[in-house]
Amino acid sequence: MVVRRTHLYDFHRQHAKMVEFAGFDMPLWFKGIIPEHMAVRSRVGIFDITHMGRVLITGAKSEAFLNYVITNDVSVLAPLSAQYSVMCNENGGIKDDFIVSRLEPEKFLMVYNAANREKDFEWLVQNAGAFGVKVEDVSDSVAMFAVQGPSAQRALQKVADSDLGKVERFKCGFTKLAGCEGFVSRTGYTGEDGFEVFVWDTPVDKPDKAVKVWNAILDAGKEFGVEPCGLGARDTLRLEAGMCLYGNDIDETITPLEAGLGFVVKFKKASFIGKAALEKLKAEGIKKKRVGLRMLEKGPSPRPKQEVWKDSVRIGYVSSGTFSPLLQCGVAQAYVGVEHAVEGATVIVKVRDKALKAEVCKFPLYDPAKYGYMRQK
Amino acid sequence: MRFKDYEIPDELFYSKEHEWVRLEGKEAVVGITDYAQKQLHEVVYVEVRKEGSVVKQFENMGTVESVKSVSDVFSPVTGKIVKVNSELADSPELVNQEPYGKGWLARVNLAGFDKDREKLFTAGQYADYLKTMEE
Repeated sequence: MVVRRTHLYDFHRQHAKMVEFAGFDMPLWFKGIIPEHMAVRSRVGIFDITHMGRVLITGAKSEAFLNYVITNDVSVLAPLSAQYSVMCNENGGIKDDFIVSRLEPEKFLMVYNAANREKDFEWLVQNAGAFGVKVEDVSDSVAMFAVQGPSAQRALQKVADSDLGKVERFKCGFTKLAGCEGFVSRTGYTGEDGFEVFVWDTPVDKPDKAVKVWNAILDAGKEFGVEPCGLGARDTLRLEAGMCLYGNDIDETITPLEAGLGFVVKFKKASFIGKAALEKLKAEGIKKKRVGLRMLEKGPSPRPKQEVWKDSVRIGYVSSGTFSPLLQCGVAQAYVGVEHAVEGATVIVKVRDKALKAEVCKFPLYDPAKYGYMRQK
Repeated sequence: MRFKDYEIPDELFYSKEHEWVRLEGKEAVVGITDYAQKQLHEVVYVEVRKEGSVVKQFENMGTVESVKSVSDVFSPVTGKIVKVNSELADSPELVNQEPYGKGWLARVNLAGFDKDREKLFTAGQYADYLKTMEE
């Protein structure tokens, strides 16, 4: 398979250590995961996330279609509002997680994981027939960046025509960005305040608009200490924030109830794919649950698939793990038996030949009064 | 000498797995090369087998972790580990800052370097090896 490139490939190749991810040649880091991570937690960072999948769903029954195929309820979305959701298979296993935005009463934008682009599009098209809605993949004509961090609004405002102060969290709006037709959504994958920025009508072979907006944001952000950031920092930031990575923390064998995503499952809806299985699981009670772990002693960092133990009994496994640049220790997301999902409990993570103590934590793993979008200013 | 951005001190020996060896009488100091530390980037944890451990050439002697990855370190020589760089416990970043200096990993009492030597590169050979890896 040919490795794909984004509009910013020349910039990335010049400035970043590259990595192949979901079929794209993407920046892993520019200066380094640690300085990029810290820039987003304390100032502002910009990520190229053009590799993600984007579809437009239009038609009179687009609301009914989405409410059938996803677990959350889009009927509560006013135009220019966004929500986080998942869609499940008939067993209640997660097909993907994503953000859906209502652009117009009968037009929605869905942004999902790069690794699931083909799978998701096929699933949507397959289920759209009965509703007569149009599912259009616009991934290849749109560039997408995330501008994240406590200074994100001030940096991005310098290149945006509209007043970004009026775009609240999980709201969105059309605006010109450095003179180009754009769209911003106050969402992200870092735990920080910030925006996801869309530049329309810029296919990869005509990258001018995308490059112009990227450079304009970097320029505007200079006075705030902006850093271009790669997938490395994107992963450590989302892990600290407690957000799931598809393929690690969630997949088709995990339900949203086990993943701690019950808040996006709206059982009061008449029907949606996976409802029966999820209702049954809810009635019976889940057996495992996703929790945060923070290592209590110095040593290696937890990594995916390592075992979690308590009192000589295996109670679960690590789904994502890393060294936390902010907390300066190993952190993880793990699935453990529900009876062990107790905040403050001490468990053991088996890292190669070592048994290391960790504390069960709620998300986010950092102090939300000091970091993240809820920080006290 | 250098190859691209990578420093390759002339007086050391090198392994295919990017470890280096500095001979000091009957002992050798070992570490990972500038190329290796630049590939790993941001080393956050280093673990070397305990002092007193006997290691064979190309056998696992520890791990080096960066933020997102874990890499095995293979001993470039055969012998007994007589000293481990204890400074790395608190300052693993020394491996990035001075891969051939303060970022050394272990001191090994050699058990048969003449034989080990046959399977190691000189600086020039290692530079050629890096060149082939980049192609």
